[in-house]
Amino acid sequence: MQSKSFLKIFRPTIEIFYAFFSIFILIFLLLYLADANFSLAFKGFVNSSVGGRNNAYLFSTFSKMALISGMAIAALVAFRGGLFNIGGEGQLVVGGFACAFTGLLVSDFGFIGIIISIISGMLAGATWALISGFLTIYMGVPLLVGSLLLNYPARFITSYLVNHPFRDIQSGLPQTFLLPKNVWLPYFPNTRLDLGILIIFLVYVICLIIFYNTKHGYYSKNMGHSLSYVKLSGLPTKKIVFKTLALSGAIAGIVGSIAVLGIHHRFTDGMLVQPLYAWTGIIAALLVNLNLWFIPLAGFFFAAIYTGAAGMERIAQVPKEIATVIQAVIILFVVGKLGSLSNLSSNKGVKDD
Amino acid sequence: MIEIFDPEFFSSIARLTTPILLAALGGSICHRAGIFNIGLEGFILLGAFMAVLGSFFANNAFLGALSAIFGGLFLSIIFAEFHLRRKGDPIVISIAINILALGLSTYLLRSIFKVSGVFSHPEIKKLPQIQLPIFNNIPILDLLINNQSILFYLSIVIVFILHYFLKYHKFGLWIRVVGENPEVLRSSGVNPVKIKFLVLLLCGILCGLAGAQLSISNVGLFVENMSAGRGWIAVVAVLLCGGRPIPLFFLIVLFGLVDSLSLRIQGLGLPQQITELLPYIVCLVVLIIVSYKKLRTLSRTIY
Amino acid sequence: MKISLRDITIDYDHLRAIDNLSLEFNAGEIHAIVGENGAGKSSLMSVLYGLNLNYSGKIIFNDNEVFWSSPRDAIQHGIGMVHQHFMLIDELTVLENIILGYEPDDALGFINFEKIQPEINALLKLYDINMNLNELVMNLSVAQRQMVEIIKLLYRNAKVLILDEPTAVLTPNETEMFFKTLRNFRLEKKIIILITHKIDEVMVISDHVSILRNGKLINSSKLKQTTKIKIEEQIVGKKLPKLNIKRGIIERKKVLEVESLKISTRFSHNQPIDLFIQKGEIIGIAGVSGNGQNELIEAILGVRKVLGGSIKYLQEDITYKSTRHRRIKGISFIPQDRRKDGLAIKSKVWENAININLNDKKFSIGPFLKKKSIKNYANQLINEFSIKVDSPNSSVITMSGGNMQKLVVARELSNNFPLIIIENPTWGIDVGSIAFIHQKILDMKARGAAILLVSNELDEIDVLADSALVMYEGKISNRIPKDIKFRENIASKMLSGIHFK
Repeated sequence: MQSKSFLKIFRPTIEIFYAFFSIFILIFLLLYLADANFSLAFKGFVNSSVGGRNNAYLFSTFSKMALISGMAIAALVAFRGGLFNIGGEGQLVVGGFACAFTGLLVSDFGFIGIIISIISGMLAGATWALISGFLTIYMGVPLLVGSLLLNYPARFITSYLVNHPFRDIQSGLPQTFLLPKNVWLPYFPNTRLDLGILIIFLVYVICLIIFYNTKHGYYSKNMGHSLSYVKLSGLPTKKIVFKTLALSGAIAGIVGSIAVLGIHHRFTDGMLVQPLYAWTGIIAALLVNLNLWFIPLAGFFFAAIYTGAAGMERIAQVPKEIATVIQAVIILFVVGKLGSLSNLSSNKGVKDD
Repeated sequence: MIEIFDPEFFSSIARLTTPILLAALGGSICHRAGIFNIGLEGFILLGAFMAVLGSFFANNAFLGALSAIFGGLFLSIIFAEFHLRRKGDPIVISIAINILALGLSTYLLRSIFKVSGVFSHPEIKKLPQIQLPIFNNIPILDLLINNQSILFYLSIVIVFILHYFLKYHKFGLWIRVVGENPEVLRSSGVNPVKIKFLVLLLCGILCGLAGAQLSISNVGLFVENMSAGRGWIAVVAVLLCGGRPIPLFFLIVLFGLVDSLSLRIQGLGLPQQITELLPYIVCLVVLIIVSYKKLRTLSRTIY
Repeated sequence: MKISLRDITIDYDHLRAIDNLSLEFNAGEIHAIVGENGAGKSSLMSVLYGLNLNYSGKIIFNDNEVFWSSPRDAIQHGIGMVHQHFMLIDELTVLENIILGYEPDDALGFINFEKIQPEINALLKLYDINMNLNELVMNLSVAQRQMVEIIKLLYRNAKVLILDEPTAVLTPNETEMFFKTLRNFRLEKKIIILITHKIDEVMVISDHVSILRNGKLINSSKLKQTTKIKIEEQIVGKKLPKLNIKRGIIERKKVLEVESLKISTRFSHNQPIDLFIQKGEIIGIAGVSGNGQNELIEAILGVRKVLGGSIKYLQEDITYKSTRHRRIKGISFIPQDRRKDGLAIKSKVWENAININLNDKKFSIGPFLKKKSIKNYANQLINEFSIKVDSPNSSVITMSGGNMQKLVVARELSNNFPLIIIENPTWGIDVGSIAFIHQKILDMKARGAAILLVSNELDEIDVLADSALVMYEGKISNRIPKDIKFRENIASKMLSGIHFK
């Protein structure tokens, strides 16, 4: 009995130690495979995630953090309502394209143009999410696969658009024309960090208010915990689903807009897909167990891993994909603590009787 | 029309069908055993990479396929550790596995072969193609099923074996039971966790082979993110067929047909992005039709 | 043959489920284990069947200490268990269900169905059971399913039969048949362990009775050495307040009117259902669960497809209106499955204290919540219904079943809606909460609510209802008025099964 209770008390500690140890071993193995110089790699990682001249790298971490946190909030909004929207990628891409397209049209309006572009990005993202909501509610398509499959049309159609009708041929790449400077998001004074992070912070605050102080937040949370309770209670389930998905998609659209207006200043084919922003966001949302308060922390953490890995690649020739591997392993080690996310996990889905 | 339905069209169907079919067979036993494995994409991708790795270093295609199987088993064991032992949510684990496979295959590609994007090399041996003389003189059938990779024939055989296995074998019965209610199996004195573990291993093997078909059967090269959504199509197919092997086979042949069709019509001047989208659109349309039919027969409203 | 449990103790996280308990079971004896919900009956039996390995104490089998590492060990020693929730797979055939885990197979592991079929048919003949082995279990009646469970045990050659609440799903005459089978087993010198909470049945069938309360053995003796009243006292342990049945006035005003309603259900011949409830009246719907009661309720609430007929609520035709519309118009609902349908158990108590009334000016302005006043309201409910919980900010999941149910009842009854639909309100909760909830239901009736009470417990209908209907396989009987022979009349309707009207 004595040893049993001893084990019980120290079990969490041992588990954390075990997780860290495993991840450490994994990193060691990966670096070894890449023939890397360990101390150089370490230096490169730390220096590039938070250091740099005039903190340039820290700012680039912040700018990544804005995108990852944004996508994490988008995922979290839906997951909290029990809606497995894993189509964030598609929503992000159509949002980004719509914003770039609108940006070119309204570039004469300056600040107003920025707002209009972001709004059009939001609308595009929300629409894309609403399509999957429509398929779920009126066609019976499971949201999980429905939202996911919609990633591909988003990806391929925008790819077509920037390869053919809207291509800036002179640039040589499949991308739209560069946006005029007056619709770029302004930088923080004396830095290369754009205001995107402020916009995401605003989204974060708005979502906190929605979650904890509005009827919709209350409905959505309860629906995430038990759809049948909410339905039987006579709450407006369809409206909650559509509102939640629209919010989630709109946030993804905002993230796409920030990437376009703040970082790339144009829409390039694959620029939002390749870095796995949407999937990293999903992982970040899961890492904090769908607790919105901790999203900035998770966002910063993953962004630092990304920029750190990019630094390792520059300095020690370690492929930057090590960041992706580490992310995946981290989420694996916390997954047991999360519990079941929804009744979707049982593959029988809805049983009829 | 003649241009579309040329010999290449018919012979490409089997090539394009096989990887999805193998992965979907793996997914279907998981489905029947009640494991919601939507990480097939990752399984295929790592399998494809490992196949090239094995084939390149061992200079032997079969060892390449074996190496692909080990890649699949590696992910199976990860899935089992975190789902069965640590009771993690299978959706989250699947997502993690997809990302892990993508990161790991790209990382290893760049660190071992020092290339990024594509790795192709004459040393990558390809799996043999099999000639069945009896089909030589039958016009279309010859193109359809002759001179295909050995994995194509294997996958067809597995479809039927799996069908009978699930129906008449005791392990197959246990798989079906564990998927419906694991507690029933436990109270009958069989450990459901053990069954699920074996099912995951089997899935890993099949998905590994799917990867091998992709990378070392016809092309002999590896491309970053080579699976390119095939795993997701397999997932949808499994869901649509409820994990039953025979309907699964026909559905995936349909997807394969569309796939090779889209390759063909690219030649007609349609933009590549639109033809590549075609299989996903067909997948989505089938999904919508089947789901809608099911929704109509439900006697309860869900939302 | 003899099997005994010595000094068994089971600890769950913070709860001692079984406290140092010893019992002995003898061959040729029907041993009843009684106690209220949560007394530890099922926990104890899961130890004996090898399902629960985290216990201290000993299992003695024929004077030898044994240790099961899984149910397989227990089965090997001839122990068999019929769980309260049947361990059957609907999608499989009867035969597949019976042989599961002990399949006769060839060298490759393929099942030899041809060889086993005659063997099991012989077994059926021996016990005079009529059953088609190739039928899917989903097409069987509840009583037949139970038979499949029993055959499963016989096929495994079980000598110790653990039966967990076997009669909960049987009609009175099915119960009678079932007891006949049990007596046969007794003659064969099998050990029969019967877990139940129906004392009447204990008095009829058992030889030995053991009473559990809060994980402790209160008494274990031959049936002859005790009495019904004694057992009842030992089960509860304290005197319950007597129900205060107020004679309300039933007004001739129909609150709910169901006319020739046809519902989409799995019952092939869905006969139209007719039913009405007047103001100040409790209508009980009796019957074994799974006979279409739940489907009827779902149709009234608007979550199940209606194929024909009409539902009227206060003269308004609501047959095809949304659930939201119906609930807002004034229907309260207390579901049986409170954890899934009655609450969002991972949410906080205050979040569960309101639902349909959130639009009330008291609780929200525009899109915003008035958290403070909702919490105050939750506190008010907690006091009024004496719900045991730390604070309105606690998560519902931390509460006991009885307190969860009180929370549902508090929320639903506090709306003072004209119609209340209640489904097995006391399912799986402690005796104290049962009495409390019964009293609240009676109070609502006295205040003029129309109440539809679906219950599988005849006692509950007997005590609460003003008149009753019986449901069987999707059909509903005529109204049975409350008179001296109320109980007997309901039971006889249940007995006669299909021969309704």
